[in-house]
Amino acid sequence: MRAIRLMRAVSLATYKESSAFRSQMAISILTGPVFFLIQFFIWSAVFSVRDTVNGMTLDQILLYYGVVAMIGFLTFDFSDWELQDLVHSGKLVTFLLRPVSYRFYSISVKIGHRMLAFWIEVIPVYLIFYFLFGIKMVPHHLGWFIVSITLSFIMVFLVNFCIGMSSFWLMRAQGVRRMFLLLKDVSAGVFIPLSFFPEVLQKVLFFLPFQFIAYVPNQVFLGSYQLAGYSLSIPMIVGLQVVAVLIMWGVSEWLWRLGLNKFTGVGT
Amino acid sequence: MSSIRLYMQGMKTSIAGRMTDRTDFLISMLIMLLFDMIVPFVTVIIYSTGASFPGWGLYEALLIQAIFLLAKGLSFPFFFGMVWNTIERVRGGTLDILLVKPRHPLFMLIVTAFDAEDLGKLLGGATLFVIAISQVEMPGVLEWLMFTFLLMMAVIMFFAFALLMSAVTIIWIGTFRVYELFDATTYFTLYPTSIFTKSFRTIITMVIPVAAMGSMPAAVLLGKPVDGVAVVGAVVLIFLVLSYRFWLSMMKNYKSAGG
Repeated sequence: MRAIRLMRAVSLATYKESSAFRSQMAISILTGPVFFLIQFFIWSAVFSVRDTVNGMTLDQILLYYGVVAMIGFLTFDFSDWELQDLVHSGKLVTFLLRPVSYRFYSISVKIGHRMLAFWIEVIPVYLIFYFLFGIKMVPHHLGWFIVSITLSFIMVFLVNFCIGMSSFWLMRAQGVRRMFLLLKDVSAGVFIPLSFFPEVLQKVLFFLPFQFIAYVPNQVFLGSYQLAGYSLSIPMIVGLQVVAVLIMWGVSEWLWRLGLNKFTGVGT
Repeated sequence: MSSIRLYMQGMKTSIAGRMTDRTDFLISMLIMLLFDMIVPFVTVIIYSTGASFPGWGLYEALLIQAIFLLAKGLSFPFFFGMVWNTIERVRGGTLDILLVKPRHPLFMLIVTAFDAEDLGKLLGGATLFVIAISQVEMPGVLEWLMFTFLLMMAVIMFFAFALLMSAVTIIWIGTFRVYELFDATTYFTLYPTSIFTKSFRTIITMVIPVAAMGSMPAAVLLGKPVDGVAVVGAVVLIFLVLSYRFWLSMMKNYKSAGG
């Protein structure tokens, strides 16, 4: 109960603080539809001479990109950058002295930030997609999708948090951070559905945690899952998502303990 | 001449600073390259499924993206850093230091923002360009001349965009998301103009001539029919003049208060 009160307090404070910069967040209302418009043109051209690509129709592929954009807005995270900044400035010390785990504090910040994004980014962009592009984004199984997107939210946080922890070992982790973030997005199916990748790569991606960030919630939204020749039912893939999140949580805990042993608090 | 010496000094200082951590520098350079390889990567994946952009082969499509990356590689390390430089300095209130120097503030913003990491883009663009051009029919002298002209226009467009973004961030303090706006606008030039509707084609050639940054020079090089190269050149120059005037007007509104 105390944890919930604490999470609520931190989230609300972040919500209010971020509200001061809402105009920056609102840029997504422009960039989201523009990026989608380009996808619309690209795929309309591709489909002008054929009916399906890799078993997907034009409507399905546009829906895929629409849902990916929404998932991106709902789960966006910058905990890696914040942690890196705190480690390098030495300010993490002030958080370590508090009677609350930094990781818990950080995810509470993310919740507050995304609560604001829900009104400023998600709803307007959803309406633009719906009315301007005619993309009817209605999940196949609402309940399962809510569970899956919640798990994706946690997964993005844990992956980014682990990436941020690289700053315990590296004086300047900017490059490594960017590299991991790029790999994460490619392997999550943000740029193109994972089922478009060569078979061998799909098999590798199936065993990595990144598919649970965007590809899996997307497939749950659409109502069927297939990757690397494996067809799984929605409850089964969401179950796997739970396992992946638990493993990632374990990895982040392990890295945190190792990292704290290296942390001097001096800064760089 | 002294301006060139000053610029070289800025370059040397920037590179020396980044060399304090060579590993991070090299990784960052690689990342800068990889980030821009995403679009070509997606194009290769699309073509590997048997799909294509009508009338464009894989290497022709890649040539468009290579030219954009080449122009980006000629712009980002050498002057585009003025955008983040403006953002940081306006936020910290240190733009004032540049205003009191005995040089034009725009020049000082460029000199103090050489970005060695972005040389990766130039390397990547050049490599992709060589790969793509070697797989298509070799262009003639006239095509090369027109391409060179349009490549110059592409770099000018990058400069105009840098001016616009720098100007916006003088007023809209700390807005790193201007880069996203830039990406969204220039994304249109990474694909053949033929995939867009007629009205969009008009916008990207005659209103905001981003077509000059990739798709148009590639079409010229490939000998595909391209209308109004000279007109687009004129529009690019008008765009540059308007951007510079906008930058000057925003500078007059600089409050020096930080943010």
